Amino acid sequence: MDLKIKRKSNKTVITGSLVENYPHDLQMYKVPPTENISLHEFEALALERLTLLRCLSTATTLKGLRPYSEEWTEFVLNDLKTQGLKYYARLCEKSSCGTQDVASLQARRKDHIAHFILRLAYCRTEELRRWYIARELELFKMRFITMKSDDVDAFFNQNNLCYTSISDDEKNELIKYLRESTFHQSTQNIETFKFYKVKFFEVLDLVKARKVYLKGGYAYIPHKDFISVLSAQFRTHLRQSLAIACQHLGEIEQDERLVSLLKGLHQSYSGNDFISNTKIVIPIESIDSLSVKSFPLCMRQLHENLRSAHHLKHGGRLQYGLFLKGIGVTLEDSLRFWREEFTKIMELDKFEKQYAYNIRYNYGKEGSKKNYTPFNCLRIITNNVGPGECHGCPFRHSDINILKNKLKGYGLEGQAVNDILDVTKKGHFQIACSKYFDTVHNTGLDLGINHPNQFFEESQKLLQGEIKVVPKKEPKPSNNIKKEQDNFEDMDLDEITEWKET
Amino acid sequence: MADQHDENLLPDMLPLYYTRYFPQNIFCRWLSCGNNPKPLSNRELSFTLADDVYLRYLSINDQKEFQTLLQKKCPHKLDIGAVYNTKPSIDRHDAVVLARELVFDIDLTDYDEVRTCCQEAIVCDKCWKFMVVACEIIHTALRDDFGFQNILWVFSGRRGVHCWVSDYEARTLDSPGRAAVADYLCLIMGGENQNKKVHFASDLHSSIWRSLTIIDKYFEEILQDQELISTTEGLKSFLKMIPDETLATQVQENLERMPRSSLERWDTFVTTYNKYCKENINATRKIKYLVEEIKIQYCYPRLDVNVTKGFNHLLKSPFSIHPKTGKVSVVFKPEHAKSFKLEEIPTIYTLLDDSAQDNVQHQSNMRAAVKNFQELVFSLEKAEAMRRKNDANASLLEF
Repeated sequence: MDLKIKRKSNKTVITGSLVENYPHDLQMYKVPPTENISLHEFEALALERLTLLRCLSTATTLKGLRPYSEEWTEFVLNDLKTQGLKYYARLCEKSSCGTQDVASLQARRKDHIAHFILRLAYCRTEELRRWYIARELELFKMRFITMKSDDVDAFFNQNNLCYTSISDDEKNELIKYLRESTFHQSTQNIETFKFYKVKFFEVLDLVKARKVYLKGGYAYIPHKDFISVLSAQFRTHLRQSLAIACQHLGEIEQDERLVSLLKGLHQSYSGNDFISNTKIVIPIESIDSLSVKSFPLCMRQLHENLRSAHHLKHGGRLQYGLFLKGIGVTLEDSLRFWREEFTKIMELDKFEKQYAYNIRYNYGKEGSKKNYTPFNCLRIITNNVGPGECHGCPFRHSDINILKNKLKGYGLEGQAVNDILDVTKKGHFQIACSKYFDTVHNTGLDLGINHPNQFFEESQKLLQGEIKVVPKKEPKPSNNIKKEQDNFEDMDLDEITEWKET
Repeated sequence: MADQHDENLLPDMLPLYYTRYFPQNIFCRWLSCGNNPKPLSNRELSFTLADDVYLRYLSINDQKEFQTLLQKKCPHKLDIGAVYNTKPSIDRHDAVVLARELVFDIDLTDYDEVRTCCQEAIVCDKCWKFMVVACEIIHTALRDDFGFQNILWVFSGRRGVHCWVSDYEARTLDSPGRAAVADYLCLIMGGENQNKKVHFASDLHSSIWRSLTIIDKYFEEILQDQELISTTEGLKSFLKMIPDETLATQVQENLERMPRSSLERWDTFVTTYNKYCKENINATRKIKYLVEEIKIQYCYPRLDVNVTKGFNHLLKSPFSIHPKTGKVSVVFKPEHAKSFKLEEIPTIYTLLDDSAQDNVQHQSNMRAAVKNFQELVFSLEKAEAMRRKNDANASLLEF
């Protein structure tokens, strides 16, 4: 593995071997680097890589750009240049294999080493791994998409990816279906595409979105969709490698010089998980009044539904139950709360047998005894909401008219409602939630809401006077920047991409 | 029959049922095949005993042990879980799920917002038609699109159906793979706060056109049976599915003037819609597939996707008895779903009572169900043998 970076003595690198090792701007990172590098370079490379990955997530969440769109790529490239990362900009701008000048080769080498250093920093927890894989995958995809077709061919050859296209006869026979089911621009002519047959599980992202024709277990993909096959391989490989790296952390952590750096890297970027608020206990009797102001809309809706229907479906119980735990409702209070409502429509016996288990489970008292974390916004937004269910994000999972009436029913004034609806229509559900927060509290904090429990805590702080109310419309830049960074680091952009596209 | 049914009789009847009627041999062969290459004992079984006592992480080595376990515990309900790397009863916390049939669960309660004949736990032959459509659509997609061969359909015992795909590729499909298949098949999305639950942004995928062809075979029948747009309420929720307000008003005016027949009203809606599209070319981009979207929302299968996505979700076993209805979870052929009559499904009460009115018919239906199961298991065993032979040849070639 890549753990021996510091110890393995190796021949000094000469430019000749760089040409051999790095024939292409893009790589699958299959082989770890083995050369000696200084601690200083180690640290510099790690930080630069991190800047690069964070730049990708800024483009998507803060700027709201659609991943891999022209504007998105342009923003990333410009940002890299202003941050002094010209070598990454060079690699991303025109991934190729043609130029073998020293600058390109050095850039490829840095890319290679830095990728492996961050594996060590980000293999520690599932959350970190997910974030890292999502970013690396974005980077890989962006670089693949900007490649010219000659370079793509070279990349396939170098990585032993051999596929043969289907015969013209087969293509003509299927052309109607290929035209219907293959995702393409209306300006593109399907007849001119070459099609390849791969197993359906090699292109799950295309299957999931119904963007590929399936027949007998095979997916028929045109050349451009090979990125799906590659990303799937890239993701699987990286996931396995991170798991292995994690098992070997003990060995590398014997070197104290690395420990502080590697640990520090990720620690500054993990957000609050609101696992449970040990300091404050919220008595269940106060829930009704709290729900009016301090609950985000999603929880207020669940609360009201529970009070009126005396029942919530599984998804709702999970989302609401964990939120209550997160704000500081004790297990005993929770049980009492749910019992009181549910037994209005069912026998006590049925409640105890079918529902009490799940409530104790949420508190880590049953089953695998994990202490479950309350859902963050992304999880809630990307959740499936089915017929008869009322969980999820009201901004994401409501018809505009229903949302409008609901907000008006809560007594929000017309202009505020329209503002909220406007951003909702554009798909900025979390911004809509921030606006809702500001309206309800009559402030202009413009918090980035990324967790229902954060909404609750901010509201409580305000109401208890910990934060001075900032008059409306006055920007508060210093505070904002810090907050926003926390927010986007906490998100999994992988998922965000999915709902933006739908 | 419902009136004969008394849950208190179950403890006495179940041992008899398990010995006389439950196809233990075929059942064990089915599970063993599905476990391959792991032994039968690595499969989790779960029992629900009287008074909702759950026993999880049970496992069996062979049919004999299974029989003993059934007699000893007399489960009111029998569930099947995943195949683990070890015996699930030992070492539970380090256990890793290795394989599991790809499963689908379709339940009529998820149709409550469209069906008008029954609600919640109640089912009749009218709303069963939704299940007929669901079986045909899902079965066709699994077979034609994903290339699966061994697909088992089981009546869930009360108000829905389960589907088990036992092909090797399906059994070993990982979680993202299961999620992708579920999402590919799931077209209806949205909760209480969304009236229109189907949106097609781009042109329709071939699989959706095929599903629409299947829906069309039943659409008029369901439209009339369920009186989907003949009642005031039905019409109201129908109109909410039309996002273009001008069109919605036109449709409302036209339909309210008409006699209360869903079929005639539907035809008028389609005519109004076509006319409107011709006149307002600019406005129609958004409602290009409105007719298709509404048909899908009314009739397309409503899958419980969490069951499919989960790798180790427990699912009721074929031929288990539903404790509330006494009905047997019979295996049926998807092409026979149409002729499925709910009152002809064998119940434990009629099977064990020679004098019961339906005894003869239920006996013969039970035999037919076991035969369906047998046929599937035979073909699965054949496929597994072929696969192992191919694998062996492939590994020989490598040397």
